[in-house]
Amino acid sequence: MFKFMPYLLKTLWRHRARTMLTVSGSAVALFVFCFVGSVQEGLDRLTSQKDSTLIVFQANKFCPATSHLPQDYDQIIRKMPGVREVVPIQVFTNNCRASLDVVVFYGVPAEKVQKIRDFELIEGSWDEFKSNQDAGIVGEAVARRRGLKLGTKFSVGEVKVTVAGIFNSSNKSEEDYVYTHLDFLQRTPGMNLVGTVTQHEVVLNNADDSVRMARAIDDKFRGGPVETDTRTKGVFQASSLSDLIDLIELSHYLGYACVGLMTMLISTTTFMAVQDRIKEHSILQTLGFSGSIVFLLVLAESVLISIGGGVVGTGAAMLTLASSGLSVGAEAVTIAFSPSIKLATAGLTGSLIVGFVAGVLPAMAAARADIVTGLRQA
Amino acid sequence: MLIEVRNLTKSFQKGDETITPLRDVSLDIDEREFVSLMGPSGTGKSTLLNLIAGIDKPTSGTITVNGTEITTISRSRLAKWRAVNVGYIFQTHNLIPVLTAYENVELPLLLLPFNRAERRRRVQIALEAVELLDRASHYPRQLSGGQEQRVGIARAIVTDPRVVVADEPTGDLDSATSSHILELLQRLNSDLGTTLLMVTHDADAAAVAGRQLRLDDGRLISDERNGSGHVVDAPQPKPGKGIHV
Repeated sequence: MFKFMPYLLKTLWRHRARTMLTVSGSAVALFVFCFVGSVQEGLDRLTSQKDSTLIVFQANKFCPATSHLPQDYDQIIRKMPGVREVVPIQVFTNNCRASLDVVVFYGVPAEKVQKIRDFELIEGSWDEFKSNQDAGIVGEAVARRRGLKLGTKFSVGEVKVTVAGIFNSSNKSEEDYVYTHLDFLQRTPGMNLVGTVTQHEVVLNNADDSVRMARAIDDKFRGGPVETDTRTKGVFQASSLSDLIDLIELSHYLGYACVGLMTMLISTTTFMAVQDRIKEHSILQTLGFSGSIVFLLVLAESVLISIGGGVVGTGAAMLTLASSGLSVGAEAVTIAFSPSIKLATAGLTGSLIVGFVAGVLPAMAAARADIVTGLRQA
Repeated sequence: MLIEVRNLTKSFQKGDETITPLRDVSLDIDEREFVSLMGPSGTGKSTLLNLIAGIDKPTSGTITVNGTEITTISRSRLAKWRAVNVGYIFQTHNLIPVLTAYENVELPLLLLPFNRAERRRRVQIALEAVELLDRASHYPRQLSGGQEQRVGIARAIVTDPRVVVADEPTGDLDSATSSHILELLQRLNSDLGTTLLMVTHDADAAAVAGRQLRLDDGRLISDERNGSGHVVDAPQPKPGKGIHV
């Protein structure tokens, strides 16, 4: 088929307006498909991870602003067998409801951040963070979205933080958070939260123990000053995002609809191209091209258009996802929209399949057309 | 004998009516012959040509070209057979507009097992034969009508086929260009020994060929060689016996 490549490419170029429009349409469809896919992937990353981390929250509370657990619960939990680490966390967010621009502050004892997270500072230093009470380290996505630089002072509500570092993480959702000193966040004017935290993060020795340990922690504080609701981190995050999950599931179908639309668009264009070139295909067959070669030529046109759209759409989606730092969040849990090789592969493979599917019927029509009738066409 | 046509009939339905453009035609054509096929419009000339070129199927009868009976072979095998054995010159040249003259001539060679160097050699020879080597990189829109037709001829001969068929090759050309094209066809026949079968309306064009067949109402009514006429009496020869004069 490579021998026919000049013919194929020149044929597509002959109707460049039509080709470009179809490629553009396909690119938009693939862009939406990848974008929706990234939201789904982000959600899956948050909810399906089998982790050994538990989140202890105040029972019957949902928004971080209303959960107030005694900070010294960490001492009690730490003594329980099977617990490796307990980190008290004060959470502050600018918006508890679903939003595309949620800023979440995690107040954590400074010395524990490196212990429980795999953050890599791409700018700034840990010492600077540890030695300044009002210092914060900012996730790369937040920094990009809000235009934050090293040394920038920024505030959300009453919380005013100086950027001491910008980090990235293998867990892209973490890049949507700002980490500060725990007592700094507790002493934020107007909050008066000293001695309480929003949640405790419990790291277990064994992930298989998570359900049993969650029950044991809740039993421990049942009847105490503040009752707890303990869940694995994945379940906790899924619960926080429950309002969004149905929407995200629905948007998944939107992605598939875009692929269907793209199939119809390419099929229509290829059919039009075949209709325009009935005579040309008859000439080729007169010269000795078999029906199967004509079939493959038309199919190849459809695949080339589709892959063109796939490369542009998937590429644009990956660039946008990588550069925008977009996320959606609710109740201080965020879903990061991030690019991935899996997503890019799905986009390109999808476009390849669409090209084949869209081209089959027009290719059959071209291959089966009667030669003499075709030659008579003006 | 290169081409043997026996009791060829072609009919098709048009609405309620059955049209029979070709009725029980039999003829033989020798290798290296230049045969013209004449007759008024709608007498079956192009139908006969298309059947011999293997792009149409008869209702009944047989066509054997160089020992291969082409009326019974499958559509895909017939395509392969055409690629090797037939060169087709169209009335309106029918070049592919997006390809250069060189690429148009190369097109049939892409179907045959030739490497790039061999293809280049053959295309150059074919373009040289039609005196258009200097226009190899031109697109059809950059060529005159006569030049386009010459590229069409180069495309028809580039595979060195057993038979070249031409469907009114001068039909769209002015008289000066027509003469040039007919001269070229004659030279192909005399110098290269190409077997040619040409459909034409024009008696002068037909006279260039060494043999003239005349069709009327789908029947072969005369078969003449330059200088010696022969009227075909109805009914035509019995199956198996062509009218080779």
